[in-house]
Amino acid sequence: MKSDVLIIGGGIQGSATAYYLARHGVSVVVLEKDYVARHASGVNAGGVRLLGRDLAEVPLSKASMQMWQTLDEELGHETGFRAQSIVNIASDEKDMQALRSRQEIMRAEGHDHERIIDQSELRDLLPHVSPECVGGVTSSLDGYAIPYKATVAFRRAAERLGAVFCEGEELVGLRRVGETWLGQGRHQRFEADTVVNCAGAWADQIALMIGDNVPLSHAAPMLMITARMPHFAKPVVGAVSRQLSFKQFENGTVLIGGGAKGFADRARNATRLDYKKLAAAARTTAEFFPIMRSAAINRMWAGLEAYMPDNLPVIGPAVNADRAFHAFGFSAHGFQMGPIVGQTMADLVLKGQSRYALGAFRVDRFDRKVL
Amino acid sequence: MQSFDCAIIGTGPAGMSAALRLSELGATVAVLDRAPSPGGQIYRAVAQSPLATPDKLGADYLSGADLVSAFSKSNVAWMPGADVWHLGDDGRIFYSQDNRTQELQCRQMLICPGAMERPMPIPGWTLPGVMTAGSAQVMLKSDAMAISDAIFAGSGPLLYLIVAQYLRLGIPIAGVVDTTPRQNYVAALPMLASALRQVGMLFKGLGLLREIQKSKVPFYRFATDLEVVGTDHAQGLRFQQDGASYELSGDAVLLHHGVVPNLNLARSIGLDHVFEPDQLAWRVKTSPFGQTSCPHIWVAGDGAGIVGANGAKHAGELAALGIGCELGLLDDVGRDQLAEAPRKASAGQSGFRRFIDRLYQPAPDLMLPTRDDTIVCRCEEQSLWDLRQGFQSGARDPNALKSLTRCGMGPCQGRQCGHIVSGLLAKWREEPVADVGYYRLRSPLRLLTLEELARLQDGESAR
Amino acid sequence: MFTSLRGLSGDLVEITVNGAPLQVVAGQSVWSAMALNGFTVTRKAAVSGQDRSAYCAMGVCFECLVEIDGLPNQQACLRRVSAGMVINTQHITEASEVYHAEL
Repeated sequence: MKSDVLIIGGGIQGSATAYYLARHGVSVVVLEKDYVARHASGVNAGGVRLLGRDLAEVPLSKASMQMWQTLDEELGHETGFRAQSIVNIASDEKDMQALRSRQEIMRAEGHDHERIIDQSELRDLLPHVSPECVGGVTSSLDGYAIPYKATVAFRRAAERLGAVFCEGEELVGLRRVGETWLGQGRHQRFEADTVVNCAGAWADQIALMIGDNVPLSHAAPMLMITARMPHFAKPVVGAVSRQLSFKQFENGTVLIGGGAKGFADRARNATRLDYKKLAAAARTTAEFFPIMRSAAINRMWAGLEAYMPDNLPVIGPAVNADRAFHAFGFSAHGFQMGPIVGQTMADLVLKGQSRYALGAFRVDRFDRKVL
Repeated sequence: MQSFDCAIIGTGPAGMSAALRLSELGATVAVLDRAPSPGGQIYRAVAQSPLATPDKLGADYLSGADLVSAFSKSNVAWMPGADVWHLGDDGRIFYSQDNRTQELQCRQMLICPGAMERPMPIPGWTLPGVMTAGSAQVMLKSDAMAISDAIFAGSGPLLYLIVAQYLRLGIPIAGVVDTTPRQNYVAALPMLASALRQVGMLFKGLGLLREIQKSKVPFYRFATDLEVVGTDHAQGLRFQQDGASYELSGDAVLLHHGVVPNLNLARSIGLDHVFEPDQLAWRVKTSPFGQTSCPHIWVAGDGAGIVGANGAKHAGELAALGIGCELGLLDDVGRDQLAEAPRKASAGQSGFRRFIDRLYQPAPDLMLPTRDDTIVCRCEEQSLWDLRQGFQSGARDPNALKSLTRCGMGPCQGRQCGHIVSGLLAKWREEPVADVGYYRLRSPLRLLTLEELARLQDGESAR
Repeated sequence: MFTSLRGLSGDLVEITVNGAPLQVVAGQSVWSAMALNGFTVTRKAAVSGQDRSAYCAMGVCFECLVEIDGLPNQQACLRRVSAGMVINTQHITEASEVYHAEL
């Protein structure tokens, strides 16, 4: 199969890249070894979060947040996006101090989307919060979406523009011969001028085929979701210094995250849960929100996610090959960045540059530190 | 934390007979069941029936009392009311008992999850007053509760047994609507010869049918196009018979067209499954001794393919022998010697089983919904139309369809819609069900309160 | 019509279903205690809000979810009645809000 661009990985980054390329009339083939949105892109917590981002990511994240506001119309399919403020709760004065220091830095950089709130405003926003919590920080630009739907929305929009998605097709070999990339799948061969590596937890293997070596690791962030509860919390909830994270969806179910990690078994395409850590997350949730004690947990799961040592993604050109690009290693906060990453990758493929500073995301940023 | 050579989940005939055999062999055995007394569904409450005349339920039911009594006298660690929510392939089991979250460790694990009735997604099947025929029996056995003036609809030996039990107890029945397709009689004919080896079973079945036909209860055969009548609760059943329409009034509609393995326990561990074409159902892949794709986890009884109560008893014994061998309590030769009797007994029943499976194979139009507005996922209220939309949007895999439509995401965790969704996708993809697959399931095995989970910690659960 | 064929009526306990005090046989399932007293609606369907009732009576359909002693999502067919138990039809749908009285 021949195309201008071959994208490896049918997650949100790969699907969004396919969409923005196809919109420019580029022919695109996406290889997905399982099915689209099978892993991290389909099973994450769905946070569309700008609050608390690493400074290096803030410009991209802000631009992406703008794109999410109108993404449903843009793609012609529902992503499940809802604008919803996020509140990170401060348990004590030390947390408040940390928030004030961050705010000074953010202001100096010209970012003013985060706002510190006191205890009474916290209780207005979250009437069921434990009375011991002293305040927090909120961002009104944030929201959430339904991960599987959002990823599939990009896929369907891309397909409408002619992109081809090959599911159940694993890339087992990739070589550059002259000006052409030759890809060998389990079932078919592929030819393209350009390759884009969006292979998530498997991206280091693809990077190696391209010629780049990256220190990528894997983990399985765990989530649990409750049966429907009467609505009690509108904002998405986090905590400044504790592993607390949950949101109540419009349908009443409550998704509990918190960052606790299970075991990633990449070779078997599987994850294992760490129940003691989930129990700790349950205790933290009940401590901050006593109303959650009687919540009924319906499902628990984990997704396979890729992490870089600095928790920042790789976004940019390959360093050891021409006409190859990377977008992976989002370290459990890439879902929100999907739209802007798709657009950025399209810019890199088509124009060789992006309007955003991508220095912090270079694929070789760890090479230089090794003697 | 308590530790055992073997933990058995479920106290039906498979679990009880395995427990007895393993404890005879000298293994330390824990037996968990969320029910307060042993027996499983089939021998439910047999030792302390609330009915004045439990003999009306039949000799097969009463015969369970011997096994229950032997089990109760054995020295296994019997844990009644142990409500399991996690089975780990590391031999770890989490359960709640008396409002405490408990944990135990076993070297070998035997799961005896039993069967459940195959859902029948006909229009109106979610209305109050529509229940399964099996539920009528459960309610009789455990609480001596009956539903008078109900319509029984469907097919299969269990349906006829329950109707006969109702007749013997003098409970009024509004009608029996049999859906066994005409062509099943033809298709099952070649298997009759080998079924005759179990002539006693055959006569038992015919006896039940005679009991029903002799009664004055309206009895319709070869019914198709079933639909529950009623707006806020069931008031009757509409159906077709040889081109004519019928409408029967009743206070309730009790549906049944066979049983399927109760999958969620084995699925949650990720054990390999196969789709059994004779039974049109998924089952755990096991060795003749019940060993699964995870070598220290075993499955016996209906959960590993429908075998019935006697078959389950033999399967439980075989699993116990396999486990005993793994534990070093007997060698291969000893195992095979002891296995001969249960193996022969279950082989003797297989001809009859194949005949029954074919004769009462559910009508295709009752296994998969045909009308767009018929609900498939009862929990999330997803209809045939909703699922087809999802499929047409590119969700070809049961898990993708689940992510897109929420079908199978509710509290029952796909127990009701799982087989239907696999079947629908197979039909739409024009591929075998085996290639379509099933939902990926995980713990918890049931709704788990946050507080129950929160109590799981190294200190407290070890107490 | 749900009817009881109970041989000996065992010990009675008092429970409350949807505000009505009832004398029921101890140890029976919450579902049978409800059904025999005419309370056949166990929950409202989560999306449409339509009435739902027990379907399998053996714990595999999760249709009979009720609220017991303030704790929602309890399977009425599996739980046994005990003295003083307070049972309510479960009314949790997508539109449910927490009552202010509970704040």
